[in-house]
Amino acid sequence: MVLALRAASLVAFLLLWEWAARAPISFNFPSPWATLTALAALVRSGALPAATLTSLQSLLLGFSAAVLVGVPLGLVMGVVRPVGRVARVYLDLLIALPTAALVPLVILSFGINVLSSAVIVFVFSAPFVIMNAYGGVRDVRPRLVEMARAFDASWTQLFTRIVLPSALPMILAGIRYALSRAFVGLIVAELLLSPFGLGKLIMTTRSMFEHDRMFATVLWTLLFAGAALAALARVEARLLRWRA
Amino acid sequence: MPAPETDRRPTAADPVAITVEGVSKAFGAVQALVEVDVRVRAGEFLSLIGPSGCGKTTLLKIIAGLVPADRGRVRVGDRVVAGPGRECSVVFQDFALLPWTSVQRNVEFGLLLRGMDGRERAARARAAIAKVGLGGFESAYPAQLSGGMQQRVGLARALAVSPRVLLMDEPFASIDEQTRRVFQDDLLRLWSEERKTVVLVTHSMEEAIYLSDRVVVLSPRPGRIHQTLEVPLPRPRESADVRATAEFARLVDGLWKVLRKLQ
Repeated sequence: MVLALRAASLVAFLLLWEWAARAPISFNFPSPWATLTALAALVRSGALPAATLTSLQSLLLGFSAAVLVGVPLGLVMGVVRPVGRVARVYLDLLIALPTAALVPLVILSFGINVLSSAVIVFVFSAPFVIMNAYGGVRDVRPRLVEMARAFDASWTQLFTRIVLPSALPMILAGIRYALSRAFVGLIVAELLLSPFGLGKLIMTTRSMFEHDRMFATVLWTLLFAGAALAALARVEARLLRWRA
Repeated sequence: MPAPETDRRPTAADPVAITVEGVSKAFGAVQALVEVDVRVRAGEFLSLIGPSGCGKTTLLKIIAGLVPADRGRVRVGDRVVAGPGRECSVVFQDFALLPWTSVQRNVEFGLLLRGMDGRERAARARAAIAKVGLGGFESAYPAQLSGGMQQRVGLARALAVSPRVLLMDEPFASIDEQTRRVFQDDLLRLWSEERKTVVLVTHSMEEAIYLSDRVVVLSPRPGRIHQTLEVPLPRPRESADVRATAEFARLVDGLWKVLRKLQ
């Protein structure tokens, strides 16, 4: 049933796309078929795999830093209340901030290279990791803490046996949301500042009016992000089997 | 099948298991407890009852070492309570089970915190699970169980650490009536078998009379001991139809008359 619906929605999407390509809406709007052909050509020529590999570096660097820094920071904010109260002001600002505005600043500090894309990825994704880890700790049921205390649990036991497992669902949800933000940050960075990877490919194909190739690259990025998110969702479902 | 409860009530000759002396506790401007004195004999089943806000749960938490008293002293056995200890286990109204893990692991929890090794822990937990009648549900998750079964897990977890004192905070309050009656009988059987000292907080007069040797009535704001009632009903109560007797009705009515004046 779900599978049939999914297939139907895909067909409907492709038909709509085909119609949009034929209708005189926009200049040089590539059809699905043209896009897929371009995609195949880009993969074969090695341009797309190379760009993907470059982008993947920034993505993994920035995103794993966001997780490795963000989760502990959020946990500390949740456990040490005064730290949380102070830090969450900055966190709210960071989330509300149009992050793209930071791009010039990052270029000035880090230069035009893969590292600065990674920094942008980090800035885009880390706040959500931190926020959810913090929220996860704040949401721990006080009763469970009381129960563990009644068994004379040590501070470490309380943290590892109650706080961490309680906060895990929110932490994982934060990580997954941060990954989608990381992809946005990646493309923004590569379009706006460091001409590398997939963003560069999008830019060059556009400037040469190769719209089919540009679309193919965007489509590829979407598929790539979709696959990464689905993989993460699977890991999450495994870890949180008890919620099923 | 546990042995039937014996008709042996605690007497003054029994050692004192819990001593509460002059305990007072305030939360901000609210006096929760004032100068409370209670002695619980070893093996006694004692209930704390009173209108909401009388501090009965606070008193239980002070005995458990979860809440410090402002004044006064609590002793459990030879130990002066300054924090949670190993003699006491607590059973909570809302079960307080870990939703992310199995019945088996939940029951093992107290043993795990005390650093017992895996094999012995598993065996002890299995025994406790069987004792509360949940054998076969070891690998179930709390959310898959009914309220009554979840509280049985809570009781098994409390019993697994072999406490001398069982502190129960309205354990049957969120369980439906039929399940509750069966559970109460099972609790009485376990109690007589294991010879635990039990302090039960309840707001059900019937429950207090049915289960207890003595019922302590607390008055609200500030919480003080208003009166202590003996329950001279013969034991074992769970096999005889004690609830149907005139004596039972008389005792419940007597308790109601005391409580009504406190409303």
